[in-house]
Amino acid sequence: MSEIAVVARRLSVGYGSHAVLSGVEAFLKPGGSTALVGSNGSGKTTLLRTLAGLLPVVEGALEILGRPVGDSSHRVAYLSQFHQSGFVLPLRAIDVVRMGRFDQRSRFTRRSRADDVIVNESMELLRVSDLADRPLRDLSGGQQQRVYLAQVLARRSDLLLLDEPTAGLDAPGRAAYIDALNFERSRGAAIVTATHDVGEASTCDRVLLLAGRVIADGPPNVVMTPENLLETFGIGLTKVGDQLVVTEHHHDH
Amino acid sequence: MVLVFSMLAISCGGSDSAATTMPNRPSVVVTYSILGAVVADVVGDAADVTVLMPNGSDPHEWQPSAKDIEKLQHADLIVTNGLGLEAGLVDVLKQAQDDHVDIFVATDHITPRRVGEGEGTDPTDEDQSVGAQDPHIWTDPSVMSEVVRALGEKLSSINIEISEQAAKVSEDLLTLDHNIEKSMSALDPAQRLLITGHESLGYFARRYDFTLIGAIIPNLSSKSEASAADMTSLVEKIKTNQVQVIFTELGTSGDVADSLAKDAGVKVVEVSTHVLPDDGSYATFMMNLASTIVTALES
Amino acid sequence: MGNFVDPFLHNGFMQRALLAGILVSLTCAIVGTYVVLRGMAFIGDALAHGVLPGVAGAMILGMPAMLGAAVGAAVMVGGVGFITARSKLSNDTAIGLLFIGLLALGVVLVSSSNKLSGDLESILFGQFLGVAHSDLLAQALALLVVVVVSILSARPFLLLCFDGDLTRAMGYKAQWYHRLMLVLIAGTVVVSFQTVGSLLVFGMLLAPAGVGALLAKRIGTMMLWASVVGIVSTYLGLLASYHFSWAAGASVVLTAVAIFFVVLTFVSLKKSVQGARA
Repeated sequence: MSEIAVVARRLSVGYGSHAVLSGVEAFLKPGGSTALVGSNGSGKTTLLRTLAGLLPVVEGALEILGRPVGDSSHRVAYLSQFHQSGFVLPLRAIDVVRMGRFDQRSRFTRRSRADDVIVNESMELLRVSDLADRPLRDLSGGQQQRVYLAQVLARRSDLLLLDEPTAGLDAPGRAAYIDALNFERSRGAAIVTATHDVGEASTCDRVLLLAGRVIADGPPNVVMTPENLLETFGIGLTKVGDQLVVTEHHHDH
Repeated sequence: MVLVFSMLAISCGGSDSAATTMPNRPSVVVTYSILGAVVADVVGDAADVTVLMPNGSDPHEWQPSAKDIEKLQHADLIVTNGLGLEAGLVDVLKQAQDDHVDIFVATDHITPRRVGEGEGTDPTDEDQSVGAQDPHIWTDPSVMSEVVRALGEKLSSINIEISEQAAKVSEDLLTLDHNIEKSMSALDPAQRLLITGHESLGYFARRYDFTLIGAIIPNLSSKSEASAADMTSLVEKIKTNQVQVIFTELGTSGDVADSLAKDAGVKVVEVSTHVLPDDGSYATFMMNLASTIVTALES
Repeated sequence: MGNFVDPFLHNGFMQRALLAGILVSLTCAIVGTYVVLRGMAFIGDALAHGVLPGVAGAMILGMPAMLGAAVGAAVMVGGVGFITARSKLSNDTAIGLLFIGLLALGVVLVSSSNKLSGDLESILFGQFLGVAHSDLLAQALALLVVVVVSILSARPFLLLCFDGDLTRAMGYKAQWYHRLMLVLIAGTVVVSFQTVGSLLVFGMLLAPAGVGALLAKRIGTMMLWASVVGIVSTYLGLLASYHFSWAAGASVVLTAVAIFFVVLTFVSLKKSVQGARA
């Protein structure tokens, strides 16, 4: 696979005709990882959902895996920030992971051995194999998050769109998550992560700082300066006389 | 817990679902109580007579239970009124007929009364408008006498021999009719005006020369509700005809009757038209009916 | 022991009632599972009530009741779809108003027609004891359709229950499958209401599936539990109706609901005992 994972030109994303984030330019190559960093309301979730085909583009051009958005949904994996399954759902962890394979075969084809192998490998990577038979609702928040991540992995996709993937993960969980990401990157998948965790962002190839517009775009060590970060997160420090004073930056939402 | 309890209750219930005590006696199932009293008189000991509807229930409204349906399905003869009286049994009776159970319909053997002009039933409903057939045959003993004669023939045809008994009951009913006619002579024609809860005294009126002014529910069935328009026109009729008494019965709303009585300045008298008296006798029923009407209208 | 079997052995109408109850239970087990999992209880209830004017209209016009129910259900499904797609007003309110409006319309129609005065009860509460062979045929057909559609749509339905966004992100037309689910619910109501009644069919959709939700670890097992509870409720309910002269439809639904609450109590107690030990 050699297409560019994401191509965006003068992209604006939002709801209806109202843009929440504009001016995004992107050219994401296979195997690369990009972090979208910003506070809630910065537009990072909206951008991710637009890339996933859940929201129409407000303005500009967007191509996913060389095709219009939505054409390659079977090659894209999306992880949303909130999980709405009312915990009545009788599902075991393994059932959740198997869901990742659903669209990879026709509706008349049964689950194959290859599917099972992929599912098992994904669960091993996220260290949830021993939870396979447990009902989802009986698992802790961190365990559930790892199961959702295993589902993402099971898709063996070419583009991963992850919204706050490390939410609720403890230290061992994070370690498993890093392993999983590395595995995906070694397969040549491109990864886009939306996060407010600056530390996590600094491990990516590229960072976009977002606050209604693109504040900065580039490698983490270049882009993530104190000034940029403060502007991204909406609080400013200004020197007045010889004192540092906290000021508020108003973002144009 | 509930399940265990109910299962115990069922198993302790005993096998009372078999209604016949003597397996060889045929079973005759009659729909409502008044007809049942007459049939019981005719049949005597020759068969087991079961009445489905408890005395006092409204035959226009009553719905059968599973056991009731079972009784009908396994009867040797079903005796019904007909002309839509037993509204809740229509489907069940049809099913029984399809399953080849013998059914005797009383109204098939008489001349039905038809709703006449100015009787106040709903002209827009073809089942209630002028020309519609009235099912309340039991308020005329002479009609019941005809029914008994036909029933006797039917019973003979299914090998229940009671022809002598049938003839006697038929005679008795004619005597009863004659006695009631005599008691009606206490009223002159101007007093023979009837307003009832629903149109239930049509046959009585036809036989004993009464005029039907109207009914609170202008319907051959007790099931509908009185409407404002109907009430207003009834009050007018009462005033025009100088009616003194309105008769309420099974299925009549007490509140509606009282309110009507106040508006129109009439007396409210309760009369039993669908319920057998305590002794279970048709004769007593008719005598009570006649005397209530005479007493109320005399004054 | 004869008391448990005799009523059915000796009576054709009881056998048909039992068969109808089994068919309805199986259909409601499958469709009810989706209703419970997607939290569509309210919509399901609305659909069940909304068929009344359709049925009343059909009976007044002398057309088959099921046809009227189908029309009523279609209007309801269309209405619910329209409301959930567009309105800014809370969905709850709009759907509630739609179904109350249709229910009131139905009562007006029934009460204004002298022909139908006793029938309101049988529409709302069903006529378990009056099942005809044609009813059984329709119910068997409906069950077949529900089974086939559920098998073919099993994965998108499961995804829809799990996460609507994920469903769409994976390329399935979530809206379409949502409407398909509404149609299945409506269809179940249409073929079942003559037996259990339009008010009560809703109980058969929720209670058995509710038990399944409490006991099952997987969706397939949930449907299995729901089927078993439905069938057992039918059998016990019809038996009670026979021996105690209770209304048949209500007895069946009451049994199903009772089973649900018994299981709920049991499961909660078990949890708190386990919690205390830990």
